[in-house]
Amino acid sequence: MNKTIVAVSTPLGKGAISIVRMSGEKALEVALKFFNCKGQVEPRKMILGEFDLGDAKEKCLMVYFKAPFSYTGEDVVEFQLHGGITVTRMLQERLIEGGATLAEAGEFSKRAFENGKISLDEAEAIIDEINSESEGELRSALSSASGKLHEKIRNLQNQLTNLLAEIEVSMDYPEEDENEIVRDSIFEKLQQTQRELEEILNNAKQARFIKNGIKIALVGKANVGKSSLLNALIGENKAIVTSTEGTTRDVVEGSIDYNGIRLNFYDTAGIRESDNDIEKIGIEKSKKTLEESDLVLIIYDGSENLNKNDENIKKIIKKPFISVINKQDKLRKLKPQENEITVSALQKQNIQQLKQKIFETIIKDKIDFNGLIVTNERQLQHIKTAKKQVDEIFKVKNESLEILSMLIKKVWNELGKITGETENEDIISVIFSKFCVGK
Amino acid sequence: MKEFYEAIVIGAGHAGCEAALALARKGHKTLLLTISLDAVAFLACNPSIGGTAKGQLVSEIDALGGEMGKIADKTAIQIRMLNRGRGPAVQSLRAQADKVEYHTQMKKVVESTKNLFLKQGEATKIVIDGDKRSVITAVGDEFEAKAIVFATGVYLDSRIIIGSYTENVGPNGFKNAKLLSSSLTKLGYKLLRFKTGTPARVNKRSVDFKNLEEQNGEEFIQPFSFMTKKPIKNKAKCYLTYTNLATHQIILDNLDKAPAISGEIKGIGPRYCPSIETKIVRFADKDRHQLFLEPEALSTNEIYIQGFSTSMPADIQKQMIHSLKGLENAEIMRDAYAIEYDCIDPLQLKPSLESKLHDGLFFAGQINGTSGYEEAAAQGLMAGINAALFLENKQPLVLSRSEAYIGVLIDDIVTKGTQEPYRMMTSRAEYRLSLRQDNADLRLTEIGKEVGLVDQKRYKMFLDKKQKLKNISLLLNQKLKIDENLIKFFEKNNENPPKNSISLKECIKRPNIDAFKINQKFGVFKDFDYEVINEINLITKYEGYLKQQEEDIEKLKKMESQTIPEDFDYTKQKGLKIETIQKLTEVKPINLGQASRVSGVSPADIAVLGILVKKHKEAKNAERRDH
Repeated sequence: MNKTIVAVSTPLGKGAISIVRMSGEKALEVALKFFNCKGQVEPRKMILGEFDLGDAKEKCLMVYFKAPFSYTGEDVVEFQLHGGITVTRMLQERLIEGGATLAEAGEFSKRAFENGKISLDEAEAIIDEINSESEGELRSALSSASGKLHEKIRNLQNQLTNLLAEIEVSMDYPEEDENEIVRDSIFEKLQQTQRELEEILNNAKQARFIKNGIKIALVGKANVGKSSLLNALIGENKAIVTSTEGTTRDVVEGSIDYNGIRLNFYDTAGIRESDNDIEKIGIEKSKKTLEESDLVLIIYDGSENLNKNDENIKKIIKKPFISVINKQDKLRKLKPQENEITVSALQKQNIQQLKQKIFETIIKDKIDFNGLIVTNERQLQHIKTAKKQVDEIFKVKNESLEILSMLIKKVWNELGKITGETENEDIISVIFSKFCVGK
Repeated sequence: MKEFYEAIVIGAGHAGCEAALALARKGHKTLLLTISLDAVAFLACNPSIGGTAKGQLVSEIDALGGEMGKIADKTAIQIRMLNRGRGPAVQSLRAQADKVEYHTQMKKVVESTKNLFLKQGEATKIVIDGDKRSVITAVGDEFEAKAIVFATGVYLDSRIIIGSYTENVGPNGFKNAKLLSSSLTKLGYKLLRFKTGTPARVNKRSVDFKNLEEQNGEEFIQPFSFMTKKPIKNKAKCYLTYTNLATHQIILDNLDKAPAISGEIKGIGPRYCPSIETKIVRFADKDRHQLFLEPEALSTNEIYIQGFSTSMPADIQKQMIHSLKGLENAEIMRDAYAIEYDCIDPLQLKPSLESKLHDGLFFAGQINGTSGYEEAAAQGLMAGINAALFLENKQPLVLSRSEAYIGVLIDDIVTKGTQEPYRMMTSRAEYRLSLRQDNADLRLTEIGKEVGLVDQKRYKMFLDKKQKLKNISLLLNQKLKIDENLIKFFEKNNENPPKNSISLKECIKRPNIDAFKINQKFGVFKDFDYEVINEINLITKYEGYLKQQEEDIEKLKKMESQTIPEDFDYTKQKGLKIETIQKLTEVKPINLGQASRVSGVSPADIAVLGILVKKHKEAKNAERRDH
């Protein structure tokens, strides 16, 4: 049985639609863990439904190709969704959570070939595809930015190799009492690995912020001064500002650089139930903006008391947020909000402080631009998987040494997919160099 | 006068005996040539069989119809299970074997086996003429056969070293094979020079045991062989002693006299079996090293000092030994020595252990750069089986890494070669959890039967065990009713009692409970013997992990099913890197699985290779259709 593979098969961030493709025996099973639709799924028929992304739902189209009538000759499921890098990535990630594996270089084509879907004449093209994709990965791996990641992961692998050698020597040389390993020390060392993986993941997130900027959504009930605040932040009149409720219909974007990080602001139409069709579209869009944002500014009108609308808005926010109390100049007594800052958009008071707060909320530690670790999607997946595998080991702490060793080897192998070291021949060398064993 | 056989086995050590027995038992007239009849199945180094990973090998040899397990059981004078408590897969049986008896019993089996002819003689030259392969001996005898198995152990151009004294002899002073190396070189074989060593033997009557820690055997444990139903009796004791600072000082003061350190010995020694002087130099911070005193046989006073191998001059050895606790007045009966010998680079072999250079020539044991009796016997058995299959014009038997330690061992040496004498370790087996000593018979008896080395009686016993396993597994869904008795049982074992009734399977899965405890309390498995209960206990407890491993094995099997034809020419392929082409051309892997383990070959290379091989095969099919 071939494992089920998944990959985004359209260039990320380009084009209006993205396609995420999955192939393998479990393709449909994995898809239906997250995809809800009315009616029967039939082969080769496009069906509209909702994909459960966890925090949110995404409307998209799904097509199912039943083996052998598909590109790869296996069961294939494709999702078509609208643009959005973040949503596309989230969808792919969900499928991986559900049991699919990220496809290797040229793997879809390779399977198609193996199953006789691609003729011999095309074999060379596939070889080129595999070689160029893996070389491309190698090149990017050796680039200076990614080289650091490699070095870090290799270090982690070495740490695990040393740990494995300690465990293995106690099993392969049980008669030599001095080689007995202390179980607690295994977990101490694993904790270190866990911490470092976590660090890399956090770091990768920050690196992504640096590359793509931080996406900040402004929400608040109508007329709270979102557009004015946006203008104050970006320093130009980009959003239409009127006092008629519901006039901000488009999601307006503006960006500034702050401390070397790009802050991308997104205005949202006032989120409230509306009968107006145009506005409804706007509201849909706003919800999507919220889902894709890294940080939300919840804006309150400081000149009035909180009402139900304010409460409702706050309830739907699941992202990190800052409570911005606007209209500082007309401030009345308002009960303090979580992570609060008071500003005046119109008089541009405290705007600089707000920028700083945004920065601090997302970039928690000082950024060392030179120490940043760049990861691509594939590397990130492997690190996440490795981290998960380490977490799992802590759940079975009482297992016998050989089981622990087996689980640690899995982590090592997962990291090896990043460094390209897939066979651990070092364990035995370490055993002999570090331990005095043998007759 | 030429004599004719179907097969000739050169060397009657642990590899040679198994090879010859397999050939003869499969009905082939076989000559077993040995340099000394007194060295047949000689335990030249430590008087023990088994140990970690090696115990597994012995049980596998047994399941395939080999001899080692039976003789080891018959001649064991102490037996223990290592690694209890570290998990089922790493548990290994280790026996002290009676060195004299082991040799005697194996020799008896060999000389009384039909079709098998044991003869003393030194092979000096190999002549290959078409499909006729001949061996010429030192006294001028000429033997011809279709297949030859080389199992020369450490006898090829060997020399022993004790300080500045060196002599061109085999282990223990036996005559060595002086000319065969050059005959192999002339045939095109690349030779390596390896080294190993053995400690001194002392007289038991001169050892003061009273302050030494005793090490006793265990009663009632499953023996090596599936056919041995009586538990092994412990008849001897081992003792522990340690080196001390005085010992270390003697060694350090005389390092200039140590050939291994002075550079007098050029052969590559195993890192896992260092001489005591190497240990002291490399691990200078350790103030003591553990040593075991092991009896060599019931019929002799000789005691083997495990952990104390050395090539120091005899007088220094004496001082070193006398510095050990309990051995202050020890009478030294045999000096320790290092031995250097020739072996071939195992990369010249196919996974069947047949030579890549010549059809019909097979190699097994230490000549392939391995070490250890068990490793040798395992290869001997496989080489014997494959030589027989060669004579029968049948496909060779190659065990997968997922089937047996034997598969791991052979795959390792023929795919990666070896830089030092290769020893089996459980850490080399990636599917260790599935390759347990307790299930060796379940894994391999069927294969042994197919090959023709497992007889009807044994096969019937095997089927019977399988049936029992099936029966017992049907019981697992049975529920135990919740009552006071059950609650007490759980509490006594530090487990939370279940709220409702609980299946036997769930019970077994509890960490502090096992099938034996359940049976003892509730008698649910009273119709089954130890072996069967043990098996079901392990399978149930490790169900989840075994399943995970099963998935990995599935992947490997898929790769292994993609065979690479022998005529596949890497140099004519587009899309592979030059380096990859060179490596694959040298190893000539038989399938994609083996190819993926060749060092330096990447997953992308394998993906490309898969396509190229498929293309090659389809092109050949098309050609065949056209004609």
